[in-house]
Amino acid sequence: MTSDAKNRLQTWLPIIVLVLLVLLVGIYDHTFFSISNFLEVTSDTMTLFLMASGVTLVIMMGGIDLSVQAVASMTSCILAVYLPRYGVFAIPFAVLGGMVAGFLGGFVSTRLRIPSFIATLAVSGVVLSAGYWFSDTKSVIIPGELSATYLSWAVGDFLGVPNEIWVGVVFLIILSLILGLTPFGRLVRGVGAQERAVMASGIDVDRVKIAGYTLSGTMAGVAGIVMAARLGSGSPTLANEFLLPAIACIVVGGTAITGGVGSVWRTFVGALIVQVVRIGMTFVGVSVFAQQIVFGVILVVAVGVTMDRAKVFVIK
Amino acid sequence: MTEPVLEIRGVSKSFPGVKALDNVSFAINKGEVVGLIGENGAGKSTLLKVLNGVYHADEGGIFVDGKPISISSPRQAFDSGIAMVFQEQSVLPTLTVAENIFLGREEEFIRLGLISRKRMNAAAAKELEKVHLNVDPATRCADLSFADRQMVEIAKALSLDSRINGHVTILLDEPTSVLEKKEVDLLFSIVKDLKARASFVFISHRIEEVLEISDRVYVLRDGKCVKELEAKDATVKDLHQHMVGRQLHHEYYREARQATPSSEVVLESKGLVKDGAFANISFALHAGEVLGIAGVIGSGREDLARCLAGHTKPDGGSISIAGRAVRFSAAYDATASGVGLVPAERKVEGLVAPFSVAENMTLSALPKFVSGGVIRFAAENAVAKQWIDRLKIKTPSAATMVGSLSGGNQQKVVLAKWRIAGVKVLILDHPTRGIDVGAKEDVYELIRDMTAEGLAVILLGDTLEEVIGLSNRILVMKDGEVTASFDAPPGAKPAQVDLVSHMV
Repeated sequence: MTSDAKNRLQTWLPIIVLVLLVLLVGIYDHTFFSISNFLEVTSDTMTLFLMASGVTLVIMMGGIDLSVQAVASMTSCILAVYLPRYGVFAIPFAVLGGMVAGFLGGFVSTRLRIPSFIATLAVSGVVLSAGYWFSDTKSVIIPGELSATYLSWAVGDFLGVPNEIWVGVVFLIILSLILGLTPFGRLVRGVGAQERAVMASGIDVDRVKIAGYTLSGTMAGVAGIVMAARLGSGSPTLANEFLLPAIACIVVGGTAITGGVGSVWRTFVGALIVQVVRIGMTFVGVSVFAQQIVFGVILVVAVGVTMDRAKVFVIK
Repeated sequence: MTEPVLEIRGVSKSFPGVKALDNVSFAINKGEVVGLIGENGAGKSTLLKVLNGVYHADEGGIFVDGKPISISSPRQAFDSGIAMVFQEQSVLPTLTVAENIFLGREEEFIRLGLISRKRMNAAAAKELEKVHLNVDPATRCADLSFADRQMVEIAKALSLDSRINGHVTILLDEPTSVLEKKEVDLLFSIVKDLKARASFVFISHRIEEVLEISDRVYVLRDGKCVKELEAKDATVKDLHQHMVGRQLHHEYYREARQATPSSEVVLESKGLVKDGAFANISFALHAGEVLGIAGVIGSGREDLARCLAGHTKPDGGSISIAGRAVRFSAAYDATASGVGLVPAERKVEGLVAPFSVAENMTLSALPKFVSGGVIRFAAENAVAKQWIDRLKIKTPSAATMVGSLSGGNQQKVVLAKWRIAGVKVLILDHPTRGIDVGAKEDVYELIRDMTAEGLAVILLGDTLEEVIGLSNRILVMKDGEVTASFDAPPGAKPAQVDLVSHMV
């Protein structure tokens, strides 16, 4: 297969898979085919997409961010704890928490020259404890009236479309523009494709990477806020079990785990695939507790299909 | 006349854009030491790799005891009685000496499914005795000195002679480059001891060594075997002559266009030191000048080039740009000061292969093509097209993936990248490596264009001839130091032999 044909396949295959999955689930349950149901499924997908959107950039750079689920949990705690005290300012504070966590992962990985999976795993531990500290180890309820005042942008409706979708689409557009139009976006691709050439061309690669990790933490922070708004509470374990599906939807969308190739809209499609699979499993009767098995299998299969293993001699 | 133990007949091997070996034949007789000499890129290492099964020859055959054999892997070569000692060490530092010596041949020591360390260490001790290396076989190789590891490598190759029935041939690819005189002498006495049981092929840049140890010498040049002579009849001077051979082509290197450098110093190096690579390097580079640096592998010139371009940090001395002292902590500092490097490894450091021609060209000058945080694609495309025309780059469009272009056109994209970045000093590390003859001439033309516009060039040529043909001035490096400096004005170029005598 020529590389051109392969690229085209990697672009269109996820969309074809998504359509087939939707048709398949629709055959099982005809009520699946309705605008309101599609909107509901999509809005349920958005927290997963938001969390995966930033990690997409990190994976495109050839790294990985394993801290996002802990970061999202932590920011949900920050939001729930500080909303009663500081009102709307709790939101930027929570986002800032995500930014700092992301920056930390990037800083440790680049400046201390530690592989990103270790650096972000370590940060994940720190962030998890921070979440416990902010919430005093408890689940913190967000009072209904505060939610109505400050968080309706995330959970209400606008023009008949759930606001989660608006938030997801706004970030999809922003991140896509960053990747497509800015020098940073180009360097993200370049670092993933051939880091040493980018470095030798006189680019401060560490700065690009740190910015990428910071963005990843920021998006995980946003995901945590939307999650807390939807559930009406923050908890230090709120986003547990989101990491595996988040990485699965990036890879299923066609972003190469080896870096260089990918986009945020692919992750959007990937997230929808993961969500439809989840619904399908519920129909077929797979226990919620067993679903992680399926995500694990999907991850391995997707990487197997997308990665050009002939060019990778040593797997570490 | 007995059959040679190992013979190759009419072997050719091509890589994209280069014919590395062209119809090479040679033979090794029983108990003989054969020397192989030639310039960098003459095809010596390629030839050994063909014998060792790392490369497969395009044409020609390999014969052991007169019988044709096919060698498709180092393991197969080993089983046919051919072992190689690599220029870059291949011992695994985390394994013990014994484990390294018998790597891949552990089955002889397996009892009940487990390796008997005792037996393996005992066998290794015997092998170490042959090279007079007094270390415990259970030592991890990482704990040995570099020279000791080299001896382990040699012991590993020599171990073949007690494993294989019949005669063995051992290929030594620059085994002495890291050894002290004492160790070299030891190696030579071991080789002489073993001549009864083994034949050797010996490669070294030090021609005196080749003459000392060899019975017969082959000279390679441009992938061809140009001379075969008895070592006792040869002199160092003769061999230099044969290695270099050609007459200079004034036209080829555009000597008529060689610029006269201005007096303006654009880059100055004062007592620059990089531990273990080079020391006390001082020179001044002028605008419009091509400064060639000649030297063999290990002379430290590649390290110097990388250091000047900010890829590595010096351990001492200073660099100044246009009279101002600078300290490069990474390549981006050098780029900001107007110094660029065209690397030898084009595909790894020169280009981002999946990027388009335009994206690669503007990579070092990206901020120039941004307004309001957004890349100005139209401006970028226009500049890319301009340089595609100017450097006659053969590409379907500026949006074509650079990885799909030929080597020569890729190299022009790298040159365009630095021109667009507006560098004042361009360091060219083997700029014509792996590109065809026509593209080479284009690159020479471009070098003349650059210097005519006042750029200064530091050139690490692919061949000595290239360095002499293109440079205004040549520094010769040996073992990390500058050993000589030659002026090379058009029409009065120094001879290659003169340079070589300072290189080796």
